[in-house]
Amino acid sequence: MTLALPSNRQEAWRWSDLSSLPDFAARAPGALASPLPNLWLDCAIPGPRLLFVDGRLVTEESNLGTIEIGAHQEASDHALARHAGEGWTLRLDAGHAPLGLVQIVHAATGAADHLAGEILLGEDAQASVVETFIGEGWTNRFTRMRLARSARLMLSRRIRSSGFVSLTEDAEVGQGASLTVATLAAGAADTRLDANIRLTGDSAFAEAGGALLARGKQRHDANLVLRHEQPNGVSRQVWRSVADGRATCSVAARVEVARGAQKTDGEQSLKGLLLARTATVNAKPELEIYADDVKCAHGATVGELNRDALFYLASRGVPEAEAKALLTSAFVQDALARIGEEAVREAFEADAEKWLAQGSFVPSEVEGRT
Amino acid sequence: MLRIENLQAGVADKPILKGLSLSVNPGEIHAIMGPNGAGKSTLGYVLGGRDGYEVTGGSVTFEGADLLDMSADERAAAGLFLGFQYPVEIPGVSNVQFLRTALNAQRRARGEAEMSAGDFLRLARAQGDALGVSMDMMKRAVNVGFSGGEKKRNEMVQMGIIQPKLAVLDETDSGLDIDALRVVADGINRIMRAPGKSVLLITHYQRLLDLVEPHFVHVLAGGRIVRSGGPELAHELERDGYASIAA
Repeated sequence: MTLALPSNRQEAWRWSDLSSLPDFAARAPGALASPLPNLWLDCAIPGPRLLFVDGRLVTEESNLGTIEIGAHQEASDHALARHAGEGWTLRLDAGHAPLGLVQIVHAATGAADHLAGEILLGEDAQASVVETFIGEGWTNRFTRMRLARSARLMLSRRIRSSGFVSLTEDAEVGQGASLTVATLAAGAADTRLDANIRLTGDSAFAEAGGALLARGKQRHDANLVLRHEQPNGVSRQVWRSVADGRATCSVAARVEVARGAQKTDGEQSLKGLLLARTATVNAKPELEIYADDVKCAHGATVGELNRDALFYLASRGVPEAEAKALLTSAFVQDALARIGEEAVREAFEADAEKWLAQGSFVPSEVEGRT
Repeated sequence: MLRIENLQAGVADKPILKGLSLSVNPGEIHAIMGPNGAGKSTLGYVLGGRDGYEVTGGSVTFEGADLLDMSADERAAAGLFLGFQYPVEIPGVSNVQFLRTALNAQRRARGEAEMSAGDFLRLARAQGDALGVSMDMMKRAVNVGFSGGEKKRNEMVQMGIIQPKLAVLDETDSGLDIDALRVVADGINRIMRAPGKSVLLITHYQRLLDLVEPHFVHVLAGGRIVRSGGPELAHELERDGYASIAA
């Protein structure tokens, strides 16, 4: 496969390092460790479960329910997402039976794989989807979401893998519909996250946020555009970046308010925490407003752990590493506390705690090729 | 319990403590009084082990061990408690979480078993009740949105839960109205006035010493103890001011 990748000279890619991708693309898949750790979350109504290894569905480990697998009609023209042309489709119409939590595990074994997902919700349909990324390789995903009137979707992603994870979202949120996308990067992988979310109906709600944790030479790079096309829309972007060592976290988040999208209420909060002087956090909030009666707040801060708080904790007997972990955990809490589903939120919090307590997840969950 | 000999310390090459000596035995309450700039808070921070305070001479032993050789958290585990003049706010960390983390870290450091969540909550409730700090407040973020008096009461709750051997209380009386002062003083007496425990009260004013009567009063001026005496010395200072003694 020949890979045409964007260069850092393009503004939207200037904080990304895609140099590892050709290597992954040239490698053959390795072997899956067996048994795989139990990654399924316990929840009240067990929903569909999909296990993809290197982008291929493992039928015997999966329970598709109403989810279909196949080629998708619409492709993306995004520089990475265009490689993902087929995959899974979750289609729910008005009056569907309760679905339960949809769980998708993506395991990589050392190579590159590309997979698309579609979530198409009809009027009043409701779904909650959690995706977990493990193993090592380049995992490239494109997710297309369409929410009709009053539909509700919660998409949560736990990135615990090594290598590179690129996730691209394209979403349309209809009248009175609600979309929440939450991402936690707490593995050893570099990431590139792109989201293009359009509020296409009156009184739509969209939230995109999460926590990016990086150490060593890791790079996380999130790029979001949230576009209000109709009046009375509400959007929230809450991102917390933590960078240690020589790592870099970048979040570029834009809110666009089209002419006529009056009474828009937009809020952005991009905060970065540097755990070492050699680490980097880039925060780039952008507003582009063409309506005159809107409320858009944005805040971006980058700082270090509070020395007074560290000494206060030490004076009560908390060792330095534990004190730093506690304060860092409190810092990312803002982004994780917003996840409504308890089982999912607890899994996110556990991932973050594990990252803080012992360093990044080792890629031993799945054996990669060496 | 605590033996300070000829302690010299400062901040950024500026000498502040210039040969301070002091001994505190188990069961004793000592008050250190002195004018602004005498080095009172520096003494608290040096004993607590704060970064940026450099010891250039002398020694401090705590129960026979070299205190200055320990990190701040090791000092706490050894039984030292530093009460802050300005307790720090920690958004996102609840008092309960903060204290349970602290208590269990100390117990681990001493080779003791960690306290269960249930036992800890009972202990926190009992200590909170005694100082008028409700469980609702205990579940809120550490000192965030607390008034000056609430922060100082919260310091006492922490002290009651941690049960240190030696409490160094830096201007615990500052910013308190007379009712809050009484609550805090009662806390000090209840928690620390015991045969095996000692207190070093660092204060500007006599009023706390009316409620927590010390066994010894010392005057700190120009970085060293210039006079020591019994409780009557505090009254003399209140009457005549520091100028006559420090001069």
